[in-house]
Amino acid sequence: MIVEKIVEKAMKKAQGASAVLRRIKSDDIAFENDKLKSAKSSQSTAINLRVILDGKEGSSQTTDINDIDGLVERTLEVAEFGSKVHFDFPPFQEAPEVKVYDESVNDVNKDEMVNTSQEMMDIVKSYNSDILLHSGVEKSVRSAEYANSSGCQFSMQGTGFGMYVYGSWIRGTDILHAGHGFSWRKREVDHKAIAEKAVEFFRMAENTAKISSGEMSVIFLPQSIDVLLLALRMGFNGKNVFLGASPLAGKLGQKITDERFSLTDDPLIDYADNSGPYDSEGVTHQRTPLIENGTAVNFLYDLETAGKAGTKSTGNGPGCNPSNLVIDTGNTSYEQMIKDTKEGLIVNSVIGLGQGNPISGEFSVNVQLGYKIENGEVVGRVKDTMLAGNTYHALNNIESIGDKTEWNYGGVLTPTIKIKNLSIISK
Amino acid sequence: MRQQMEEALLKSDVEYAEIRIEDESKSWANFRGVALDSVGSSKTVGGMVRALYKGAWGYADFNDLKNLKVRVKEACESAKLIGKDKSKLARVEPVQHMTRFLLEKDFRNIPLSEKISVIQEYNDILLNYHEKIETTNVMYRDSFRKIWYANTEGTYIEDERPYATAYISATAKDGDNIQPGRESIGSSAGFQVVEGLHEKAEKAAKRAVDLLAAPPVKGGKYTVVTNPRLTGVFAHEAFGHLSESDFVYENERMKEIMVLGRRFGPNNLNIIDDGSFPDQQGTLKYDDEGVKTRQNYLIKDGILVGRLHSRETAATMGESVTGNARALAYHNEPIVRMTNTYINKGQSAFDDMIKDVKLGIYALDMIGGQTTMEMFTFSAGYAYMIRDGQICELIRDVVLTGNVFNTLMNIDMIGDDLQWAPGGPGGCGKGGQSGLTVGIGGPHIRIQDVVVGGRQ
Repeated sequence: MIVEKIVEKAMKKAQGASAVLRRIKSDDIAFENDKLKSAKSSQSTAINLRVILDGKEGSSQTTDINDIDGLVERTLEVAEFGSKVHFDFPPFQEAPEVKVYDESVNDVNKDEMVNTSQEMMDIVKSYNSDILLHSGVEKSVRSAEYANSSGCQFSMQGTGFGMYVYGSWIRGTDILHAGHGFSWRKREVDHKAIAEKAVEFFRMAENTAKISSGEMSVIFLPQSIDVLLLALRMGFNGKNVFLGASPLAGKLGQKITDERFSLTDDPLIDYADNSGPYDSEGVTHQRTPLIENGTAVNFLYDLETAGKAGTKSTGNGPGCNPSNLVIDTGNTSYEQMIKDTKEGLIVNSVIGLGQGNPISGEFSVNVQLGYKIENGEVVGRVKDTMLAGNTYHALNNIESIGDKTEWNYGGVLTPTIKIKNLSIISK
Repeated sequence: MRQQMEEALLKSDVEYAEIRIEDESKSWANFRGVALDSVGSSKTVGGMVRALYKGAWGYADFNDLKNLKVRVKEACESAKLIGKDKSKLARVEPVQHMTRFLLEKDFRNIPLSEKISVIQEYNDILLNYHEKIETTNVMYRDSFRKIWYANTEGTYIEDERPYATAYISATAKDGDNIQPGRESIGSSAGFQVVEGLHEKAEKAAKRAVDLLAAPPVKGGKYTVVTNPRLTGVFAHEAFGHLSESDFVYENERMKEIMVLGRRFGPNNLNIIDDGSFPDQQGTLKYDDEGVKTRQNYLIKDGILVGRLHSRETAATMGESVTGNARALAYHNEPIVRMTNTYINKGQSAFDDMIKDVKLGIYALDMIGGQTTMEMFTFSAGYAYMIRDGQICELIRDVVLTGNVFNTLMNIDMIGDDLQWAPGGPGGCGKGGQSGLTVGIGGPHIRIQDVVVGGRQ
């Protein structure tokens, strides 16, 4: 393997080294404004090298597979000024079984991709031909080779397959955007169900409804769950915890949310977007519970941060970011959640998320697509409406959790969650 | 390179084809808290072939430059597979052009140790500013991109696009209360722009600490005065994106909404996009289709007078090219993007904007914004309440929202103090291409009845 040679070359001067070579081939087709607009083939190669030199680390990347000597030289140069290290590269460990490769993705050709996209569009068009559509299908085949100076080496193969259909429905100066999409590692995707979901989101927005300003119940669909999850993604990041930038620092073992709320980082779900046997540092993946029945139980670590914090890597390296996030189900059906609401809001998508002080938990977003509930029924789409709150406060004010989970694209598996008393400001 | 590209283009058997190749060298350093968190460098070489056949585009992007002819074939095959319509591409005169950038201080010749020590000084300022400063994030990044472009019409361009940026962020903490203070700068002028930012560092630290004591804004409708940097984001989100004609050119309903001559704002409102404006974040000689950049009025005296085009959207709509097709990186296709977008200055003095406001918000600097064409948001870095004509207490978490069909009309004062935002590591995102450098600017402006999110 080429990565072995790179590590070998680096080790002539360095005391530690690890190299990853990634290759991706992908194809996609796209319809724009109802018309078949583009077809693309992509080939990419990238090599990433990290070295430890006199206790300091440097890293460098190249896309040129023939520039190995240059890569090694540049990385050693960088390491001279690098950051102090608190870890060793891991020895080889047997990885847990997880499926991320589907042979049949290879066989999908562009004609088939065009047909799939066309069928999704037909479903939305048969609901309403006034909706102008964008739709596409993408497939990829990826490989990674890893080697380090502790004798660990392996290679992985993966596939990716995804599709979407989005549209705009314009009535006068009223512009409505809605749609749906999904991607994972497997050929088997129910594209008709994706289109039908898109239709449902349009159907619920046929009428426009006025919502009053004030505090009310808000239902977050799986599609908008990131409004609540963004702060947790940052808060459970071990680096933010170590630096004290996370409000969760020092709170392991403490109750931080409602007892019905449990959250797990799970890179071992077959065919999920962020699944795989190893992280990018050669550490085996594992399931890491983050919140168990409302109590914070673990943070996510990479090698360096774990070394500094005196703990072990959770296989979230480098960067301490989550892989797939899974929220446990509750026992309330979506229909019941709506029925139980006198006045409230269902959120499908927002704009402006993360553009404030997200790590603190605060959010203040415009409801790009949301629906008003009145006396237990969805009455129409709300516009010019801001939704604000704090994730930690909201997760301590859960009214109910849905009894089914759904993928938000291929990286978050979540039920619908209903929060009591969030602030709505509407024009 | 030129010969290789031009020979490969001879393999094209479609109506139009182009090759864009990029060689990018980057270096970076990043402090988190007391420690250097990462130091690195990268070298990226890659390209894209774009082929047009019967109204459809075939793309092939790659890192391996050895088989350019194969890539041209690949893109042509893709286009031919799906093309069934009629191609439209605005005519432009072929050009031959080579840009060489003369950096005052070329960051490629600056040793990494110096880059690190420059930002270390800023990091030290943050860390020593106050006991409530919990941690920091101080980053330096530079990128030098060399771009080669050739198409089947005979255009050949070599361009250089350098960029150096510094980001200085302090986090202050008091119990569960965590507040940021951020400053940034970014420019193509050279390494000198990231030097001497000690005052900015101090400002960032002070703001983080001050925000600990600031109450969150109460949600509601306010009269809002924005400072020039936030006005720039407002211009970009509230109107800039709507004027990108790829949202319009094949959408009959949007064409009705965006009909030239429609009034969007008051008589003194002028919004301009100008890629030829010197030395700003979005300044370019030629866009990524080889079209010369220029000044484009979007709104003149409150009336919609123009929009931003690629060659395809311009031809489809029967309008002139504007030089706004931009690709984020070698593997991205050029799409219609803004360059330097600003609201032109008016005549109001800042004091006059404040003095008769009973209850309002003075919102400064930006964190970001987003739009869905009709509705948009923009977030202030920090803000003050205005009470009875006086600028009063600092407040936090100010996110503003608007609707393009009434918010622009609600601008009632435009300041006489046009300024450009200083840039930084972020940028504009669209169609999966996030982080494109764009210039934004404007004067102070006052807007009535702006909805601000928050608890009551």
